[in-house]
Amino acid sequence: MSNKHQNWGWMLAVDFFFAGMGGGMMAIAAVVELFGGGTRMSLLGNLLGPACMGIGCGFLVLELGKPFRAWRVFMNPKAILTVGAWMMSIAMVSGFVYAVMGIPLDLIFWRNWAILGKVLACINLVTGLTVATYPGVLLGRQKGRPFWVGPGIMVLFMLSSLVTGCALHYLSALLMPVLGTLLAPVLTSSSALYFLSGVVNPAPAAAIWHALPGAIAALLLLQLLLWSGYLWIKQSGATAAEAASAQRWISGDLSLIFKGFMVLGTIAPLVLLLLDIPAAQVAGAVLVLLGGVTMRVLTVRSGEDRTFLPGEQKYHLRLPTGSEEFLRKNWL
Amino acid sequence: MIRYAMVMDTRRCIGCHSCTAACKIHNELPIDIVYNPVTTVGPVGTFPNLTLSFLPLLCMHCDNPPCVDACPTTASVRREDGIVHVVDSKCVGCLSCIMACPYGARHHNHESGTVRKCDFCKDRVEQGKLPHCVATCHQKARIFGDLNDPESEVSKLVKNNRTVQLLGELNTNPSVFYIY
Repeated sequence: MSNKHQNWGWMLAVDFFFAGMGGGMMAIAAVVELFGGGTRMSLLGNLLGPACMGIGCGFLVLELGKPFRAWRVFMNPKAILTVGAWMMSIAMVSGFVYAVMGIPLDLIFWRNWAILGKVLACINLVTGLTVATYPGVLLGRQKGRPFWVGPGIMVLFMLSSLVTGCALHYLSALLMPVLGTLLAPVLTSSSALYFLSGVVNPAPAAAIWHALPGAIAALLLLQLLLWSGYLWIKQSGATAAEAASAQRWISGDLSLIFKGFMVLGTIAPLVLLLLDIPAAQVAGAVLVLLGGVTMRVLTVRSGEDRTFLPGEQKYHLRLPTGSEEFLRKNWL
Repeated sequence: MIRYAMVMDTRRCIGCHSCTAACKIHNELPIDIVYNPVTTVGPVGTFPNLTLSFLPLLCMHCDNPPCVDACPTTASVRREDGIVHVVDSKCVGCLSCIMACPYGARHHNHESGTVRKCDFCKDRVEQGKLPHCVATCHQKARIFGDLNDPESEVSKLVKNNRTVQLLGELNTNPSVFYIY
């Protein structure tokens, strides 16, 4: 019962970040498609949603001890990881088919099928929100991990997925004209440039884009409040193990990074996004993304804390680490 | 139907670690993996009224195992006789079961990339033999048998003694019982 290799690594945290952000982006794009008054989010943002999910899947596979057997994760419908894998697969296909509807090529023969756009938006909304939330469900169900256990972590992950998804949509919309200019020499159709600008129906699109910084700021305020409450409840919570795990975040070895996440990943972008200065808002959106990945790395690392059985920690301290001279000579 | 279970008589355990060594040798475990540690609890109290006890740990072979539900590949299996084990050829090393087990009874083998755990020495049990840790325990602190057989020693011990299941509040219903 050694402590070696008993916790998920940073690659799973990065998977949670990309998959969650991709899910959040797809859900936001779906809401705009369904209720946005005939407009869409930018083509780049719509493409980045499923692409981010794909990147997340890549990190998940790399985290496995046996990456070439990765297809087996689809086998147990009772397992949250299986549900997540299926949802990501459906979301990536559906999200990509929806996103390319914004490309004015004859090859995309379904690009003008309005009903299909709405149907795909419904699928993307459900699968996107599920992917955005499932890491929290996965962690919250771990009975022996005091920092994670309970439904609170699920809300925090969903919120972070939405806030990072909004931030990347905002940056994508900004990048679209730049991308259009860069691609201009290779694009033959003038309408391609029109679509690459990210505007299908200019008036509501502009309104949504201008509303994004405010929406992100509101979500960041909620994130600030929920994380404060979560730690306070854990610290004063049900078990000593929960209190000890929260203490690591408040004044222990994880506190510096956590404070960095709260100040630079939550409060600073909140202020920057409320300023009516484009450069500040861009900086704020970038900080949101950095905060999102930091939060996930910290949270996954907290899985080291387990509800230990009597005498177990003392036993672990007595175990050899493998670096002992006599072991290296005689055993390893 | 058989339900294999183990009773740990902590009044008899002297903390000699014979069970740990027997398990490690016979299962050829790597240096950093121990299936059944014996932890020391105490000393507690005030001199001269001090007490020290030993707690043999292993996989609890839960009746409601969270590790089996967490496994996305169906590599973690609970057999009909209650033994929980890992089918190595199906395991992808995702560590979901390690994170789900509240007893820390599962281990990532970095050489094979898969997860290993105590399986109650199922191959021996199928031959009618006792698990290595039970066969080795010279204090008879570990007793193994069929919990559903009213004539078995484990069944009688559980029925007639004050026993506890570790972390029973988690609704895992372990098959390992402790007499204290």
